Amino acid sequence: MRSFVESIAQWSRFQKNRNLIIQFFFLIFTVLFAIYFLSVAFQLELSLSHFKSRAGFGLSHLFLIDYTSNDSRWVAYYAGVINTIRVCLVAILLTTVLGTVMGVARLSKNFLTSRIAWAYVEVLRNTPLLIQIIFWQIVFLQLPHISEAITFGNTSAISNRGISLPGVSDNGSAQMWFIFLGIMAAGSLFLSYFLNKREDKSGEYLSIAGYKLSGNIVGIIFFALIAVVTYFAFGKPVSLDIPSISQNTKGTWMQSGGFELSPEFAAILFALVIYTGTFITEIVRGSIQSLSKGQTEAAQAIGLSRYQSMTLVVLPQALRSIIPPLTNQFLNLTKNSSLAVVIAYPDLFMVSRTIMNNSGHALPVFFLILFTYLFLSLCISLVMNLINRRVTRIGT
Amino acid sequence: MMTMPKININEIKNWTINNFFGSKLNLLLTIFSTLFIVYIISSFISFLSSAEWEVVALNKRLLLLGRLPAEDTWRAWPILWLFSSILCSSIGAWGNPKKSELLFILLAFLMPAAIFFSMSYIVHISITIIIGVGSYFSSRIIKKISAIKVVMYLDTLKKILISLWILLIPLVFIVLLIGGGPKPNLWGGFLLNILLASVAVVAGFPLGILMAIGRSTKLPVIKTACTLYIETIRGAPLVAWLLLAWFVLPKFLPNFYGLSEISVVIRAMIVLSFFASAYIAEVIRGGLQSIPKGQLEAADALNLSYFNKMRIIILPQAIKVVIPAIVSTFIGIFKDTSLVFILALTDLLQVGRIIPEQDPKFFGKQIEALLVVASLFWIVSVALSNLSSKIEKNLGIGTR
Repeated sequence: MRSFVESIAQWSRFQKNRNLIIQFFFLIFTVLFAIYFLSVAFQLELSLSHFKSRAGFGLSHLFLIDYTSNDSRWVAYYAGVINTIRVCLVAILLTTVLGTVMGVARLSKNFLTSRIAWAYVEVLRNTPLLIQIIFWQIVFLQLPHISEAITFGNTSAISNRGISLPGVSDNGSAQMWFIFLGIMAAGSLFLSYFLNKREDKSGEYLSIAGYKLSGNIVGIIFFALIAVVTYFAFGKPVSLDIPSISQNTKGTWMQSGGFELSPEFAAILFALVIYTGTFITEIVRGSIQSLSKGQTEAAQAIGLSRYQSMTLVVLPQALRSIIPPLTNQFLNLTKNSSLAVVIAYPDLFMVSRTIMNNSGHALPVFFLILFTYLFLSLCISLVMNLINRRVTRIGT
Repeated sequence: MMTMPKININEIKNWTINNFFGSKLNLLLTIFSTLFIVYIISSFISFLSSAEWEVVALNKRLLLLGRLPAEDTWRAWPILWLFSSILCSSIGAWGNPKKSELLFILLAFLMPAAIFFSMSYIVHISITIIIGVGSYFSSRIIKKISAIKVVMYLDTLKKILISLWILLIPLVFIVLLIGGGPKPNLWGGFLLNILLASVAVVAGFPLGILMAIGRSTKLPVIKTACTLYIETIRGAPLVAWLLLAWFVLPKFLPNFYGLSEISVVIRAMIVLSFFASAYIAEVIRGGLQSIPKGQLEAADALNLSYFNKMRIIILPQAIKVVIPAIVSTFIGIFKDTSLVFILALTDLLQVGRIIPEQDPKFFGKQIEALLVVASLFWIVSVALSNLSSKIEKNLGIGTR
């Protein structure tokens, strides 16, 4: 007996074995907690089977999906997911542009420009996003009534029913054409990649009438040619759709055609873009400032203009330290898009909350929300990691 | 950088040319920026000229305290006095503010005071100002005495102040609840925002430290569990977690002493604390990673146990490095407390949205109310971010 105790004591003297003991006790506590959690959870309804039943609520802002209140809850949920993805994609693109422009403007030699960028960051970064969303909604709802809409030469209209921009309309074969264009875009990207690679290796390049054509230009010309040729080959698949405002016989104002930005969508989009843009501005500024000043001076010494030195020398290098925090901001933007619930833009979160309220089964719906956002975050991280790998590889 | 030049005609000329008309691009930027600034300022002025602030003036108490009953309004004053005395003496003890900064701090306090001033509370407000100024100067005097004589008054003062800061939240709770105070559901307005954010960060801090240490250990089980915890919480938006507090949390709390029927405010505090802890854990993990490996090896060489190694060597350095980042986390959480609208709590923003709808004559005055709400949030956030950059400079982070 004594020897057993001694051997245990001796065994526990090794750090490795002590670690095992600590982890064992930690595991016991975690498992106990999990058992308690699960025992409560299993008393609740955990399956998502109620998603097959009739949703019973209507949604505005339908995009790419047909939904009526008679469809199942899954369809409503998909409509919400599509709305979230739509607003996030557009917002990510715009906020990157805004943040980069403002970040460069912040370091501008021009006193006024840099002060504007400074004021933009200081004022808007320190007010809650929710206030900004509500503010933009109020602004868009206070626009003139549709009968007095602001129009720009009949091409677009701004009123309290939203912003109408010229769009494209389908003449029957648009889908086929877009798919074809997608394939061709990939093809021309590959072509320009191939040509650039060849030029890097051997210095050969295409030239027409003495003009040197870089791979990028060849790709663009190729794509444009194909697009124009197939546009007629497919029998004019799309046509320009200009929004029109008219009064019907009963005197109600109607708005038809074009690409329509509803006040809610525009509010959440503006708020997300402008709020996230402040953080991106700071990231871009910090990254540019962290580059050594010698880079700019060297670029100017070889005769590049300020614009060229910024786009060819400074920004490509700054990108390396910009991308990781930028990814973080994109993830934040995606999560923040759930605040659209406050202005009743039917995104993933709002639809799920409605389902939660209607069905009374909160926990499974919550896990659905959690996993959907995790999935979206994962997609963004994957894409950004690919870009990051590409960016960090340049010049090494 | 662009520093204002001394009074010298030539220099002014050069500065103007360099900053405004140096090149074609520069000229273009100047023109566009001027147009933009003129547009913003003119639209702001035209808004101000038509703005009516009655909607705010009639609802001061609602904005600051929410639905706190009128007979309990007195509870707000001791909290304010306590806060201002601790804050002002802390500024005196730690900070070495210049005159311009003191003016800024004074302005930051006077602006909300001017918005929310009313004659019936003149005594209370003057007491607040006297307490603030008095505690600032008393701690300055203590600082001067201990600089002249070799006495440890200042250190004692700092220790007392730190413990007061930690005790502040329990004290606030006591003031709010003592003698049959109102139910927590009735707490609201700006008080609720500040309370939620402070509780979240203070309660999330210890948990965050534990999680950060857990995530950076080599023990696989603990590491996986902590990583899972942090990433799950960071994976979903805060509104989703708050919704969980609304629907599910009561079912998971054990059913004794009425714990499962706690107020929504307390539930929001619990969820916010867990939420904050995940973010603080990530911040502290960054600090832990920034500690040079030599420190760990030196601690090992002294034969310190793991607990002591963390307590004496690693954590003090790691936390010192990340204080500014924690202040930014606090700002983020503070801004996020406006999301408690999802729990039907009347926080500052919610009050700001409701008050224009109470009376038909306030119709269309939402922007005014929203602007006051935004400026309150803005003042606190800007003050804190200035504080964080001050701390950063004082600690010499980034200059090592």
